[in-house]
Amino acid sequence: MTARLADLQSCFQGIAPSVIATVSKDGEPNITYLSHVYYVDAGHVALSRQFFNKTVRNVAQNPVVTIVLYDPIDFRAYHLCARFERSETTGPLFETMSARIDVIASHTGMTGVFKLISADVYEVVSLEEVAGYLTPPDLALDALSSATVGGGPLTELRGLQVVSDRITRAGDLDEMLSGSLTALDELFGFSHAMVLAVDPRDESRLVTLASRGYEGRTAGLAVKVGEGLIGTVAARRRMLRVAGVGAELRYGRAVRESLARRDGSQDLPPELPLPGLPDAQAQLGLPLLVGCRLVGVLAVESPDPFCFDEWDEAYLQIVANQIAQGIDRLGGAEETPLVVASSRPVRRFVFYRNDDCVFVDGEYLVRNVPGRILWKLLGQHAREGRTEFTNRELRLDPALGLPALKDNLESRLILLRNRLAERCPDVRMVSTGRGRFALELDCDTELVERDTA
Amino acid sequence: MTRSLSAELVDFVQSGVSVQIGTRDASLVPEAVRGVGARVEPDRGHVVVFVPAATGTRTLANLEDNGRIAICFSRIADNRTIQLKGRARSVAAARDEDRAVVDRYRGELAQNLAFVGMPPRLSYRISSWPCHAVRVEIETIWVQTPGPGAGEALGQGVDA
Repeated sequence: MTARLADLQSCFQGIAPSVIATVSKDGEPNITYLSHVYYVDAGHVALSRQFFNKTVRNVAQNPVVTIVLYDPIDFRAYHLCARFERSETTGPLFETMSARIDVIASHTGMTGVFKLISADVYEVVSLEEVAGYLTPPDLALDALSSATVGGGPLTELRGLQVVSDRITRAGDLDEMLSGSLTALDELFGFSHAMVLAVDPRDESRLVTLASRGYEGRTAGLAVKVGEGLIGTVAARRRMLRVAGVGAELRYGRAVRESLARRDGSQDLPPELPLPGLPDAQAQLGLPLLVGCRLVGVLAVESPDPFCFDEWDEAYLQIVANQIAQGIDRLGGAEETPLVVASSRPVRRFVFYRNDDCVFVDGEYLVRNVPGRILWKLLGQHAREGRTEFTNRELRLDPALGLPALKDNLESRLILLRNRLAERCPDVRMVSTGRGRFALELDCDTELVERDTA
Repeated sequence: MTRSLSAELVDFVQSGVSVQIGTRDASLVPEAVRGVGARVEPDRGHVVVFVPAATGTRTLANLEDNGRIAICFSRIADNRTIQLKGRARSVAAARDEDRAVVDRYRGELAQNLAFVGMPPRLSYRISSWPCHAVRVEIETIWVQTPGPGAGEALGQGVDA
């Protein structure tokens, strides 16, 4: 039973491990698992070489190999006879494979230790489904799990129109980001998504501007450029899709443990937790670019390893381009390092005049412009009982010291809101319309001003 | 020379690990097929692996030609993997008493695959019976767990 390589895309996601059998020139067979086989074109596949081992030695002696691929969706098996053709150490294929390995290395604390040596390209000589590998399906069981099919191109186009409309009409950054993430969720089911922007004070990191589906857990999240999927997308400025995150991480951990056993003195950094969903099985990260300039990253995740495919990549790339333009138009990220700590139900605020710094119950909360804004809001609330505020009045208040042009007020407010959600959820800034927001308090406040700490 | 498995490796090989079998033909073209369980003999130097009749035609032909065999055992949850290499000393249709070994293996494999998201309604469909019992004399044992130690002989300062 013959099959076409191009039809086996789900086998190339790195979800179900593949198998490679080789033979030495002396006729000794060798068989081992491969974490990932890559599709190159209709007649070629590529294998990643991270280590030198018996497979590599055998292929150098005898280029004919047998690879068995398993489809992670229906578990069919495919038998490939292939011939080693070439090793690539530069170029787009190498970059793509290398980026995936860097993500796993980064999440498992092995950056620089576990890396791609070469992308080894094989010509596929024959391909057939393994006949008789599976017994006939149990129809009753299969019917229960049949997937539903989506709405077709017209629905997709209309959905894109809605997302695009929300992005271009948004009056402020918060509205643009929350509007587009909501539309992506409601229209297309991207239920876990976040937008991170380059921190202009420290371009080696990204800070979360908006998220959906994480119930506030991503508030204040910062990611270092080059670390994890999001950081790698930023560093390389390329889209990256990782399916089977669980399988990849298990593979990475196995390598890590081998390393530790082999050389106990290896001082590997700790494993990096996944930034969003702890049980994410599929992640897709897209760079937000304006021209050649990186302004941030759009990341979507799912607990379903089969959630994203080429369609999602193409579609989200269009959306990402629009979001990037929107961020550029409405103001990029600004302000404040984010030191993640657990929130504490304390309501005593202290403002230090010498560095415009606000502490809540003895803990640093925020400083500079967002600190002055918060102090103004809390003061007016305490003195006058005000709860409604406008962006315009903040812009016009000389005491806040906003620059006349490009004041980045929108992003300062988002960061302040995120910081409050993270550190002091009793105090909230809730949008009430374009350029307006309400201060909501679940607590009484005690406000103290001091010259210095 | 026959190599013996440690008691711990006997348990490992006989558990619900993934079993893959490599052979080759007279012109050095390799073949790979999934095995459906294994049983270690009391001397710990011989292992019987089960090859499904439905998928094992090329493998059995290769074994008849030259007897060279490599068997990879991999634990799905953490990728701990070893590879045994040796010679097939006999090939025969699996007997009724082997059926219990194969059936127990199927159940354990399905459980382990379910742990990584493969539903048992699929993994239970792997053809497993009738099958052939291939009795192998173990000559070398290799560490195959992914990492820098992969491909090294067991016992040379490396543990699987």
